[in-house]
Amino acid sequence: MNSFSGGRLSNNEKEFIQAALRAEQRIDGRRPFDARRLTINFAKEDGAVEVQQGRTRVTAIVTGTLGAPYPDRPTEGSLNIFTEFSPLADPGFDSGRPGELAIELGRIIDRGLRESRAVDTESLCVLAGRAVWTIRVDIHILDNGGNLVDVANIAALAALASYRRPDCTIGGHDGQEVIVHPPEVREPVSLILHHYPIAVSFAFFGDGDIEALDPTVKEEAVMGGRLTVIVNSQGDICAIQKGGGVGVRHSEIMRCIRIASSKAVEVTNQLKKAIEANGIERAKRKIKRHPDQSMSEAQKGKAEATQDIQMEEVSGVSADQDERREAVMEILRTEEMEEEPTISEVEEEDDIPVKVDGKKQKLNVGGKDIGGMKVEPSGKEAPLGGGFSLWANEAVNGAERNFGADSKQFDSDAIKEFEQVSEAIQGAKTQEKSIKATSSPLGLLDSGSLATMAAATVYAHMAVGEFPEGSRPLGPVFPKVEADENGQRSTLDSIKPVPTSLLDAVKKPKKRKK
Amino acid sequence: MEANDTVQTGPVSPLVLQIVAPGDIVLDLAKAGKVVRLGGGLRQDGDSVVVTRAGRLRHMQANNKYWVEGSQKRYVPNVEDGVIGVVVDRRFESYSLDIGAPTYAILPILAFEGATRRNAPNLQPGAAVYARVVKAHRDVQPELSCMDVSNKSSGFGSLKNGYVFECSTGLARSLLSKPMCPVLEALGKRFSYEIAVGLNGRVWVNAQEPSTIVAVSNGILASEFLTPAQQHIMVAKVIERMQ
Repeated sequence: MNSFSGGRLSNNEKEFIQAALRAEQRIDGRRPFDARRLTINFAKEDGAVEVQQGRTRVTAIVTGTLGAPYPDRPTEGSLNIFTEFSPLADPGFDSGRPGELAIELGRIIDRGLRESRAVDTESLCVLAGRAVWTIRVDIHILDNGGNLVDVANIAALAALASYRRPDCTIGGHDGQEVIVHPPEVREPVSLILHHYPIAVSFAFFGDGDIEALDPTVKEEAVMGGRLTVIVNSQGDICAIQKGGGVGVRHSEIMRCIRIASSKAVEVTNQLKKAIEANGIERAKRKIKRHPDQSMSEAQKGKAEATQDIQMEEVSGVSADQDERREAVMEILRTEEMEEEPTISEVEEEDDIPVKVDGKKQKLNVGGKDIGGMKVEPSGKEAPLGGGFSLWANEAVNGAERNFGADSKQFDSDAIKEFEQVSEAIQGAKTQEKSIKATSSPLGLLDSGSLATMAAATVYAHMAVGEFPEGSRPLGPVFPKVEADENGQRSTLDSIKPVPTSLLDAVKKPKKRKK
Repeated sequence: MEANDTVQTGPVSPLVLQIVAPGDIVLDLAKAGKVVRLGGGLRQDGDSVVVTRAGRLRHMQANNKYWVEGSQKRYVPNVEDGVIGVVVDRRFESYSLDIGAPTYAILPILAFEGATRRNAPNLQPGAAVYARVVKAHRDVQPELSCMDVSNKSSGFGSLKNGYVFECSTGLARSLLSKPMCPVLEALGKRFSYEIAVGLNGRVWVNAQEPSTIVAVSNGILASEFLTPAQQHIMVAKVIERMQ
């Protein structure tokens, strides 16, 4: 039925596969209704997953775009499935236009997802009649080991479950503008999946009386017919597809459906577990880890690594500590505000409690704050330290040097910190410069470098040992910018989060006459 | 240059039995002996011998032959290799066989023992054949024969029944090694089966029961990266599962 072009299938093989199946033996040692082991691997990006079952490997990638809805369904988003059968999967696949098999696979998965309303399309509507989300699922077949439908379906489901679309709000003066928030500003939102329609495929041999679940590629080449049942764990059948010329008795079909139903429950459990585990991994990735975690064995009992975005209670903070704290807040706040830094009240979000731990100071910063800071180049020149180890090393040494428990005036404290941080970044020569800028010491510098400096301050206070040359401690990595003599910066633009240009697409309908 | 003479070998390449990669120069022909034979995976590039296939460099003292043994899915035809092919097409004078090489191989219709124009074996497309590579050049279709050098069939010919499966070329080679491969030995103690191994990464297994064939084929495939001890354990497990 299926052209097995991975080398010709010899007659010996064809006959043997049938003979073995009559004896309830499958060529890979499985029993007729045993499925192969399934592994689901999520990529670091949201909405990308690779699924492997036996030798079959499929990747699914989900992307979303904001656009105009279909005219007959103005309050619903849409879901589109595209399949790509790469020639690297099977010599019989041609690149370019999808063949019959590719189209059929796409159609089956589409039916299972769309018509059963597994993906909630109404929640994809942002502005009725104007802006809805169109979700696109791209399924790439990497290796054809048989039973592509089932595996591709699981890949699509897993990708849809792990996909996060940007959050958007309706605003503007007339309430007709859609503002799409970049992921750094607002946490992206997951899709609503009501249930998981699982595809289970059977192959029929002989006169239609021999069935096998999850056929391999050789079995598919020999089979007379195939049946795909898409069913969810509640036992609702979402779609059934039977192909191939061999006639199958209805009792056999019913038996297959029952088996499919129980398999679907197993697979759904596995899928849910994988999605959950991925969710936890994802949350962990969002937490920035401090570099001393890798040094913890060397520095036991010293700096504490922040595990979560926590507000630590600062008890009995003395005045100078407050001032010190404010100084650091200042650094952080400046880039958020993009204005001349003034000493103002500390905002709650930037709460960076400072805990004195003997001689060393330590700052625990919510990872999100650092990571989520908007960095807008203010057009002023400032060098960014190149590479991680540079500032880490020097900041660390600077911390040990500069941070005593001596109480000083606020300004000098701020200047000291600033010195130390800037020294870490720029090298000793800029120390003189920094002292001059008393009123707004940070105004001269680029907000970009402020981010680096602020982070440097954070890490500087970590009580750590030497970073061995070339080692990469954990923590955010700032773009390595070559700083030449004058300290020209270069790639700061790349840091800036640009609101999506889809905004334009959304704004246009306003001008059209309705 | 007779086989009986001790060939002037000169210095043997220091890379023998080492893993080599394409591009490595293993021998300087100016300093080598009079006759140096190059097998698969090696090429003469002016005065030096360059590796073209990743694998282990082997050397045979008797005829001063060097070759590289690598393990791939794709087979590169070498003369005197025994291969298993599947008939794809029949031409007037020859069959086209798929042997997993970059091109189909040619098997002349008369290359069978005792074949004449009148009574040549009639192979259908899809028939599995065990043949020997007679000619193999880089840019030419390889030619096969179902006879050995003395025109006797000696095991070559079409394979009836049984099951053919693919493996890597490295595994196929180890299955043919002289002290018999542990997995074949262990399987042979329990099952009776017959086996034909093609150096192109194809193996043909035949036995009475389908379950035996399935057990043997899966056992062989699973044994590729196992040590001999592990192979024995694996075979024991396979047998246990079959009970």
